[in-house]
Amino acid sequence: MSLQTADLTSTPHSSSTSLNTTLVEAPTPSQNPTLALEKYKKKDAAKVIVRFRAIGNAPILKQNLYKISASNKFQAVIQFLRKELNYKASEPLFLYINSAFSPAPDEIVANLVKMDI
Amino acid sequence: MTAPQNPITRAIWDGTLPIKFSLDGTEAAELGAKISVEPYFIEAPRCSYFPLLTSQIRKYFVDMALNFIGDDAEIWYDVDGIPLKWHYPIGLLFDLHTGYRPDSNSPPPLPWPVTVHFKNFPLDKLIRAQAIDATQDFFMSMIKEADFLRNGSTKKVMNLSKNDQTQLWDGLWSSSSQKYRTENYDRFWSVNYRLVINDGQSPRHIPLRIYLPDNCPVDVFIGNPLTLGEVLHQILPDLFPSPLPTENAFAAPVIHGVIPQLNIPIIWASQNLCYPDNFLHIVVLLGT
Repeated sequence: MSLQTADLTSTPHSSSTSLNTTLVEAPTPSQNPTLALEKYKKKDAAKVIVRFRAIGNAPILKQNLYKISASNKFQAVIQFLRKELNYKASEPLFLYINSAFSPAPDEIVANLVKMDI
Repeated sequence: MTAPQNPITRAIWDGTLPIKFSLDGTEAAELGAKISVEPYFIEAPRCSYFPLLTSQIRKYFVDMALNFIGDDAEIWYDVDGIPLKWHYPIGLLFDLHTGYRPDSNSPPPLPWPVTVHFKNFPLDKLIRAQAIDATQDFFMSMIKEADFLRNGSTKKVMNLSKNDQTQLWDGLWSSSSQKYRTENYDRFWSVNYRLVINDGQSPRHIPLRIYLPDNCPVDVFIGNPLTLGEVLHQILPDLFPSPLPTENAFAAPVIHGVIPQLNIPIIWASQNLCYPDNFLHIVVLLGT
């Protein structure tokens, strides 16, 4: 499906008689955006490595490095850590990215990784 | 430092939405409201957050014979059955949930009908606030995140005096009252100006979030092209096949209920069109 989309959108740009090709070959706008949305909705199968570092009086983990699917929300990381530390939902736990900021739990991990440049 | 006299940021700050809050029918009966309760209307600032309206909404419904003694954090809102994420600004939620295109011929769906719930907080769909000032924490986190994106570190925000940091939040939450809108605008922008203008340095990355319809994942922006059109073309090439406006465009960006021109410089947009949390929250809507 994504290959088809690439073909359809690249045609109008290449030809010098672009006006004609646009009228004849470009798909109707109502078809393309839905295809485009489907493509963006597809979950990124890539995995991301997360390294935990305890600060303050947070307990030290036996294992620091974990892999997680990039399409997960940050909430998944928080819940995973709570389980590893055996923390109840009522006990306060704060997670910071690069000691800088605390992302909203519904931010996608893939996006947070992109920020770390 | 006084806030710069910028008519655009002022117009955004002053933007409001009339909202009609109604009780959920079955809950109302369970919580002891004997007669059907009239809805409550608020002209809410687009830049504000729902939890900041909760105490006056709660007071109204309790005065109307609703027997509720729980925490403010148990109160939540939904539109057409979809719970509203309380950590998103009200204006963003409206643009996102109504999908209303300002260039369409139909009038906007105002007042915006929102259902108030006092029970059954959907823990699977919404973040439950642990503390009363959770909204403030989320807001400051967004500001730090924006600072991090712009400068590669949160030094700027962290170096603000405690008083300045409080000015940011106080300017925003107390802006719910019409009387002090100008003072609060000045309070907020006198500090925010320093964060956003960045001493004239080009930001590393632009703090930007794109929201696609049907709950598509939100996109954060990295990189530094020149115009809004180029940004959209880079991130969503299938929806924005060209960085320039085209005749048969099938998607349009909406920010603060307005469709911006694609040729506006992205840095200018980030400084002038951002929400108080320093992010450009852009909703992409389909349709011609």
